[in-house]
Amino acid sequence: MNGDGGASPASNERGQVAGIEALPFGLLIFVVGALLVASAWAVIDTKLAAVSAAREAARTYVEADSATEAAAAGAAAAEEAMANHGRHGEVTTAFDEPASFTRCAQVIARVSYEVPAVPLPWIGGLGSITVASRHAERIDPFRDGIAGTAECPP
Amino acid sequence: MSRPSVAERGSVLMLMPAAVLIVIVLGSIAVDLAIAFLGEREAASLAAAAANDAATAALREGVFRETGEFRIDEDRARRIVRATLQASSSELDGLDFDVRFSTLAGEPAVTVTVRGTVDYVFARAIPGAPDGIDVEATATAVARIG
Repeated sequence: MNGDGGASPASNERGQVAGIEALPFGLLIFVVGALLVASAWAVIDTKLAAVSAAREAARTYVEADSATEAAAAGAAAAEEAMANHGRHGEVTTAFDEPASFTRCAQVIARVSYEVPAVPLPWIGGLGSITVASRHAERIDPFRDGIAGTAECPP
Repeated sequence: MSRPSVAERGSVLMLMPAAVLIVIVLGSIAVDLAIAFLGEREAASLAAAAANDAATAALREGVFRETGEFRIDEDRARRIVRATLQASSSELDGLDFDVRFSTLAGEPAVTVTVRGTVDYVFARAIPGAPDGIDVEATATAVARIG
């Protein structure tokens, strides 16, 4: 290898042997570090989306007209919130439903979403990490559309 | 500026690891700041939900039925805020809250302040850097006849 095109190393390349390991070592640090940062970023970004989705799901649930309609509407709201954050995969939404859809009952919405543990371009990623969030809301004790009296905690 | 002499051609190799590390460190700082932002959003979300629950569920219904006045049962409001915060998840360590009662435009209002600490991910590896950041959010809810 000669920058001047000759057969013998030129005097200006003498230091290259001492520093040549910097290239693969630097590349290794860059690849591993970038994967680590990208993975952490993907989890945090998804967590931000999951927090919003759980809140939307719980709000939608407590404002629904009936229990049967509430779960479906809450799940749809969570999916829409995740999609609006750019997460179009499968969103798992569950509700710790109250014993009955009554005034003042506490509803807990749980939203989870799987992100690749090691995000890779073109391939998609390796492994998976489940990012979850939980949000609690209470059905308004004085809202209309629900029969019965409020049973708020003492 | 003079042209680098031929004897300095290899020096760029030594800058390579430093440049890579700088990029990684900047990325790490971005991630840690995003975590702080996540914590603030969670605190705001919790405070809003807790204040909203307390403003209605802690209303003294008997007084309201008799006089038409909105009055908040303060002890019950604190219990409701605590129950809402405990039932929700968050990345906040040392979650603490404060409930204040006031009047806004002649109507009783419940103000909930949520505070906690968010742990950084990458900054812990840097000696002398903070391990986390304190976040706080406040929300006020007013019960109105709709």
